[in-house]
Amino acid sequence: MLSFQALLGLGNEEARFVVWDLRLPRTLVGLVVGVALGVSGTLLQSITRNPLAEPGLLGVSAGAAFAVALMLLLGGSLLELRIGVAQLGALFGCLCVLGVSRIRGLGADPVRLVLAGAAFSGLLGAMTSLILITDRRAADEIRFWVVGSLSGRRLDDLLAVLPSMALAALVLVMVVRPLASLALGERASAGLGHHPGRLRLLAILIVALLVGGATAIAGPIAFVGLVVPFIARAIAGPELRRTLWLCLPLGPLLVLTADVISRRLVAPSEMPLGVLTALCGAPVLISVVRARRLPSL
Amino acid sequence: MRGMSPLARGAVALGQKVGPGIGLALGLSLVTLGVASAQEEPRVLDTAFGEVEIQGQPERVVTLYEGALDTSLTAGVTPLGAVATRAAEDVADYLKDEVPDIQIVGTAGEVNVEAVVGLEPDLILASSRLSEDTYALLSQLAPTVVPATEGFAPEAWKDEARLFGRALGHEGEIDRAIETVEARAAELAATFEAETSQDNAFLIRWMPQGPLVMSTELFTTGLLAAVGLDVQDDQLVPAGRPHSDPLSLEALSRVDGDWLFVATLDANGAEALDQAMQSDAFKRLSVVGNDRVVAVDGQLWTSASGPIAAQAVLDDIEQALEGVVTP
Amino acid sequence: MLDDRSLSAAATRSPDEYRDCHDRRDASATPDGMWLLRSGRFSLLVDRRQLFGALLLAVLLVGASLAYLCFGEKPLSPGKIWAVFNGQGAMLDTFVVEQLRLPRLLAALASGAAFGLSGCLMQTLARNRLATPGIIGIDNGATAFAVASVVGMGLSLAPSAMALTGAATAAALTFGLAAGGGAKGGAKGYRFIVAGIGVGAIFAAVTQLILSRAAIDAANAAYPWTVGSLNSRPAGAVVVLAIGLALLTPVALWLSRSLSLMRFSDAVALGLGTPLRRRRLQVLVVSVALTALAVSVAGPVGMVGLLGPEIARHLCGNRQVPLIGAALAGAAVMVLADLAGRLMLAPLELPVGIVTAVVGGPWLLWILIRR
Repeated sequence: MLSFQALLGLGNEEARFVVWDLRLPRTLVGLVVGVALGVSGTLLQSITRNPLAEPGLLGVSAGAAFAVALMLLLGGSLLELRIGVAQLGALFGCLCVLGVSRIRGLGADPVRLVLAGAAFSGLLGAMTSLILITDRRAADEIRFWVVGSLSGRRLDDLLAVLPSMALAALVLVMVVRPLASLALGERASAGLGHHPGRLRLLAILIVALLVGGATAIAGPIAFVGLVVPFIARAIAGPELRRTLWLCLPLGPLLVLTADVISRRLVAPSEMPLGVLTALCGAPVLISVVRARRLPSL
Repeated sequence: MRGMSPLARGAVALGQKVGPGIGLALGLSLVTLGVASAQEEPRVLDTAFGEVEIQGQPERVVTLYEGALDTSLTAGVTPLGAVATRAAEDVADYLKDEVPDIQIVGTAGEVNVEAVVGLEPDLILASSRLSEDTYALLSQLAPTVVPATEGFAPEAWKDEARLFGRALGHEGEIDRAIETVEARAAELAATFEAETSQDNAFLIRWMPQGPLVMSTELFTTGLLAAVGLDVQDDQLVPAGRPHSDPLSLEALSRVDGDWLFVATLDANGAEALDQAMQSDAFKRLSVVGNDRVVAVDGQLWTSASGPIAAQAVLDDIEQALEGVVTP
Repeated sequence: MLDDRSLSAAATRSPDEYRDCHDRRDASATPDGMWLLRSGRFSLLVDRRQLFGALLLAVLLVGASLAYLCFGEKPLSPGKIWAVFNGQGAMLDTFVVEQLRLPRLLAALASGAAFGLSGCLMQTLARNRLATPGIIGIDNGATAFAVASVVGMGLSLAPSAMALTGAATAAALTFGLAAGGGAKGGAKGYRFIVAGIGVGAIFAAVTQLILSRAAIDAANAAYPWTVGSLNSRPAGAVVVLAIGLALLTPVALWLSRSLSLMRFSDAVALGLGTPLRRRRLQVLVVSVALTALAVSVAGPVGMVGLLGPEIARHLCGNRQVPLIGAALAGAAVMVLADLAGRLMLAPLELPVGIVTAVVGGPWLLWILIRR
């Protein structure tokens, strides 16, 4: 109630400040991060035909986080630079994991991709630890940065990632129809005159832009890219475009709910958001595999 | 050569230099002399791991604790080895010039025992947090003094310093140094009494995800209190903890008092303050508007203790108070 | 359980060879690359490549151990080490060897061997070269409990006892969550691993939560447990690990024949008379127990469980499951990595878990991509 008054410019100054200057930017960042992670999860799962393909599980977020840690170590601190670096790291992570596990033929074995991703995430995590140890000066900043959080994010942060996110959205709109046909099978897609290989590459590029941008502003947030598409598919069925539409409200809903809980649970301190999404997301992951049979795409 | 008095050791060294003939005779006579003087009562120290006996004035000292290094230098004994202070790969900046050649033997959390062995110490001064396993190893090398401090108390550093002083055989110097610190704090309190007696103060460490409020029971918050500031933590720090959890930016107004001391782990207090100043939540605190935010060196303010550190902290406090009080 | 194409491609060759072995043994001929040892009623087929591989690894391991004892902040010549073992070493040399390096060397050997062995078991079971027991959350469970203990939350058990408890808890959770339901065969193994990943993620989040709320000094003290380190591990945990290793290694070797069959399709293994379900469970339990014990000593150094078997497969060949080779290679990797960690940033130490990950990770990736 107080918040509504504050939004309308009423209420006392303290409440207005908290709502306008702290919570609003944070909410907007959560909105964008939720959409980005939900959409990239859906895309990854569609092109790999693997219901477990998730940016966090595959090491894409770890790649972005490591790239940023490396940049902090080398002394960079420019926000715009950080986003580019995170996106490059995410791209590298994507290509590595998909290269390792070979993109074709994954339908038969979703676990292989996850194992490759886990090994890769472990490697990147250790590299980040190495940075922690060699540069104790940066250690405190990074130690808290490796868990995702929306605390203290400002509108500037958001504005800095918006161009690349918009680019990703534009590309997505252009290729979403062929991608949906790709989900029907490689032959069907080729028959319609598309290039499956090129499409996948474009999709990976979109995922890297989205995940890199999200990681740059909020740090690595696990499991959103798994849970959101899972729920979306349960509601909308396997069709790619309908799932993507549903990700738009579901992603932010999940991230923002988790953020509110993280703020309220241990007030006046905060719980890292990444911890909370993992605690919520892991049971969903387990219930996915406990469901009737191996879910396939 | 351990256990011999320094005099005797010097004599042996001399004997080796001068040559077998006269040198040996000279050395022998002096050794008997040294043994005689070493038969003074050994000092028995109460430590966390029981009683420890020490004779004479140890010279090959290794300090595994920021406070021990500080105390040792106060006593005029330059340690051979010390641990790196937190968040750095060297000893704290405020002491770096005093000990240019000191060897680093690990970190406060992880002591590299082999590096200590290499220094062949005759006294090891450690922190109350030293683990029992490490103590079991170190005490085989040399008498190891671990203060039995529990929890946090603003005056604990004085007891620790006196214990280390006794271990070093330089009790008098340490007592005098502590008195000097107390006298100076009292003097500062008297000087600024009119202006600051009603003021409260917070000590925080600025972190990217929000500030940590430091306990009122620490070495530095104790000094702030001694100078007359009413140090608070607004019940944010759980009992027995050195600091609070990272505070949400929404709750930042809880540290809005008359004075705000902002520390970081690295020496660049100014950089931390810049970072903090960019945050809107910080800018609107009344303490920021009143320009009573003091950037301080975190190595000194949140990791160090001891007489030299106390003087350095009092320097910082005096400078801050002077800047505001005298127009 | 899992269908790894390239592995099964290798495996399709092997059944023929295997049948060859049987045919030729019937004809009293020793198959290629094998030696037949006879002694009265007993006879033993020894795979020459595996034997040579194991010998090579053993030599490497002895060399690595010697280097481990020699190098450090205070370098000692092999002669001095010898003198120490004869009881004639100088006081400080004896202290350094007996109190510092030898216990740590033993911890490295035992934990490395356990990691290598359990990794090899798990990879054979899952038919995937990237599977380790760590993947089902054991490492993370152990870390979370150990960190809680260091930071001073929860039970007042020592960190290594807590690590063991955590590993057991994570394993039990994974088993429990994966059990039941109507799934069978391949889907079951798939479900098991994914449930493990979920459990691991929960424990990783708990660790982060504890670290983010702990005092900074306590968090720094818990740091070695989050990456894996051999610095000052209590002797008790090492003794427990050694006993476990002594008991479980024979069991693993006894299981190795079934393991060789498990690499083929379920139909082949069942057709050759292997009680597949029971064997799988046994292999899993041995593997999990070994990892849990190793983690309680060294923390999560899961990469050794990938590197050890990988090296062993290169040197010992693929005809049999190279259990002994994996144990030896795991121990060697652990010893060398810890030696490097002690020397690289001296006098500060680099935890062994970071060394193995940074050195082993890229190599592993390269092997996987090249394949």
